[in-house]
Amino acid sequence: MVSQSTSVGKSSGNAGIAARGTAASLRRRQVLAVVRLELRKSYFGGRGVGLFLLAAMPLAIPILILIARAFRGVEGETAETTTLFAGLYQYFILHFVLFLGCVLVFGSVMRREVLDRTLHYYFLTPLRRELLVVAKYATGVVVTAAVFCASTLATFLLMYLPEPGGSAFIVQGPGFGHLAAYLLVTVLGCIGYGAMFLAFGSFVRSPIIPALALFGWEFLHALLPPLLKQISVIHYLLSLCPVPLSQGPLAILSDAPSPWLAIPGLLILSGVLVTLSAWRARKMEVAYEED
Amino acid sequence: MNADRQVVFDNVSKFYGEVLGINRVSLSVPPGITGLVGPNGSGKTTLMNLMVGLLQPTRGSVRVLGMSADHPEELFRHVGYATQYDGFPPGFTGYQFIESYLRIHGFEKTEAEALTWKAIERVGLVEAAGRKVAGYSKGMRQRIKLAQAIAHQPSVLVLDEPLNGLDPMARAEVIALFRELADGGLHVIVSSHILHEVDLISDQVVLLNGGYVVAEGAISGVRDEMEEEHPAQVLIRCSRPSLLASRVFEHDHVVEARIHDDGKGLLVRTRDADKFYLLLNQVVLDNDLTVETVMPTDSDVNAVYQYLIVGNGEKP
Repeated sequence: MVSQSTSVGKSSGNAGIAARGTAASLRRRQVLAVVRLELRKSYFGGRGVGLFLLAAMPLAIPILILIARAFRGVEGETAETTTLFAGLYQYFILHFVLFLGCVLVFGSVMRREVLDRTLHYYFLTPLRRELLVVAKYATGVVVTAAVFCASTLATFLLMYLPEPGGSAFIVQGPGFGHLAAYLLVTVLGCIGYGAMFLAFGSFVRSPIIPALALFGWEFLHALLPPLLKQISVIHYLLSLCPVPLSQGPLAILSDAPSPWLAIPGLLILSGVLVTLSAWRARKMEVAYEED
Repeated sequence: MNADRQVVFDNVSKFYGEVLGINRVSLSVPPGITGLVGPNGSGKTTLMNLMVGLLQPTRGSVRVLGMSADHPEELFRHVGYATQYDGFPPGFTGYQFIESYLRIHGFEKTEAEALTWKAIERVGLVEAAGRKVAGYSKGMRQRIKLAQAIAHQPSVLVLDEPLNGLDPMARAEVIALFRELADGGLHVIVSSHILHEVDLISDQVVLLNGGYVVAEGAISGVRDEMEEEHPAQVLIRCSRPSLLASRVFEHDHVVEARIHDDGKGLLVRTRDADKFYLLLNQVVLDNDLTVETVMPTDSDVNAVYQYLIVGNGEKP
């Protein structure tokens, strides 16, 4: 039943809130609240299952390799495993798993709110929409980076540890450096693809078509002339991978960009795309009926 | 009144492509309860969404207590809005729903918890607070949306059809809550298509039709302005109604005096209700009539709505 016993406060709660702490600390609290809400809504419920299943897929490969080797009664060699893992990472994890995971997570950052008819709750809070977009993007980056880094780490360990020289390769050899490089590429992949799909999701109703087009572009990047390679995210990511692989007989060779160009370049591109998405959110109208 | 204490629409138009939402609306909404009335598609929700920046005007500007939706960090400390949209974050309980968005306002955990419980108490959902919103009835969902809108203690409360889905008991309680909030100095802006409820709760009304404001102000004032075109109708239950009819009909402002069908009353239509009531007092005293009731029959929102929107001038 509706209670009338409590006193009526005219703005007593909220109007004074800005006075508590600095504007920066208020914004920090607000962004953290968005991150908490996003985690609860989008990742820890049933909706996170698809992402976690996708991230678990690469683990099947080293398990299958282990089973095959056990049947054949052979042991793996570190050099062979290094090439195998490089192929697995570059062609499967980076091209497919991480790409698709980012489509799932970032392509629906705003769109899912529209379909759930919940976007207005965010838009009716005293939080700038630009900051909301940044907070949602940051949550996505943290989640995808954590999930895919865990997947990459587990796959890497499953590939090397069962081998006789695997532990030594990781601890005393170049293995740890390789692992660090793969994890860095994974994080950068989440940042770069995340920003791209965030922008797709912000500007088009369904990000699937542009995502498919980008998938084709990225998949065929080895066949692209050097100039076009430079507008491909995968070109920069692959240049940071520790083990270069052959791109096939039809590949058009070009110089790999240096890490000093690849990393800032990806971060700048991501920053521009997130800024565009934030601008779009500022102009966005809530009219669920059209959807 | 100072514009910084009002909700001001300045020549606002909103078009959805070529479809008219609202056109050339200029309004100043003072504190108290304001009812937005109009048929479906008249522009009520558009007007409310423009107020809070969920829509952007094609032309003109909207300011709420002197603030614009371009600065949400200021505006939404003072504004709460319960929309018609029936969406909730999936998997959330009523409590989690309100508390989560209060945290986005910047409230610390303990403060957000206290405000959440206070709002839930006010709408009478304490027992259901721990249940998932997805399992709530329509009326409970309406109340949890209301709680979410008032939780941060705004000074402007915008409510789109807030009485929909509520049972009569809950309606009465929610209406009492609106009155209590308005008496505390808040702007409570309510849209409804249930005219007698709007009439019951509103200090002033805005009548919309086809995207245009057709009337605004206190309902009595709106009705008074219409007296020339639509004379006020008053039913007097009294002894000797035919004598009363002959006396009042001598006056110019009385355009019709008709004995009621049951023969125990008189129905009068007058272009000047104030003069008529003075005249009535005089006639009653002079002729020693016994008056049982005097009742205006077309001075409520329903009548105004019928005259201005439905009937194109016909009697309600």
